[in-house]
Amino acid sequence: MTDLPLAAFLGLSAVLLGIGIFGILTRRNFILLLIAIEVAMNSAILNFVVFGAYWGAVPGYGLEGPAVAVVLVGLAATEVAVGLAIVLALNRLRGSINVAEATALKL
Amino acid sequence: MILDLLAFLVLAGTAVVTALAALLVRELVHTIVWVALFFVSLAGFYFLVSAPFLGVLQLGVYAGAVTILLLFGVMVTRKRIFAREAATGLGPAPIALALLVVVVLATAASTIPSATTQVHGYSVDALSAALFGPYGAWLLLLGLVMLPALAGAIYLVREGRE
Repeated sequence: MTDLPLAAFLGLSAVLLGIGIFGILTRRNFILLLIAIEVAMNSAILNFVVFGAYWGAVPGYGLEGPAVAVVLVGLAATEVAVGLAIVLALNRLRGSINVAEATALKL
Repeated sequence: MILDLLAFLVLAGTAVVTALAALLVRELVHTIVWVALFFVSLAGFYFLVSAPFLGVLQLGVYAGAVTILLLFGVMVTRKRIFAREAATGLGPAPIALALLVVVVLATAASTIPSATTQVHGYSVDALSAALFGPYGAWLLLLGLVMLPALAGAIYLVREGRE
């Protein structure tokens, strides 16, 4: 049973979210964009897991944290699947996966 | 206790370095390797805070499935697997925005009290009972999101439309 301060995990999660936002703003390759979104999403999931671990044993608080984390992992995996489908369609129609060239909503 | 701190520092360093490396290296295949290590280091955190079920889930879904899916995407969309990515300029605005987010969130995080100073693990039995009991609706909703997502993904990549 670890006794590290909760703020240490939250600070790390903030740094990871910053890295994810930086990647989303700077990368132009669709796959790198997806990876940046995954980094940001993982920082959010880390928050849910850590809050669940620190508050789960307090009376009156249930297992919401880990339960939401399980749902979020599933959602993130779904999002990658749809994102890669868009990557494949974009690659076939435009011959490139540069998001700057994907200017039309119709694929 | 000192071991926990050491584990936390090593894992935090690994997570930050691998996340940065994944987004900054110029070969996409190397990116996939770095991001796989990033997912594994996060699983290490989950084991550290006594959430083994989520750690295994992270290893299986992220380090396993998502990594392979991303690698598949790289392989299908590249003419040459090890082609280099064009360097993107690191403008000051994205870095400033990311730093702003980090500073705001870190100051907010330092004011949050922890309920306990000790992590109390919960059993996998309790979590699974909760997932199929009180929080069952969330899993059902997840399924309802996944089904149209699957249909949409198949629609996007189907043959015979140009």
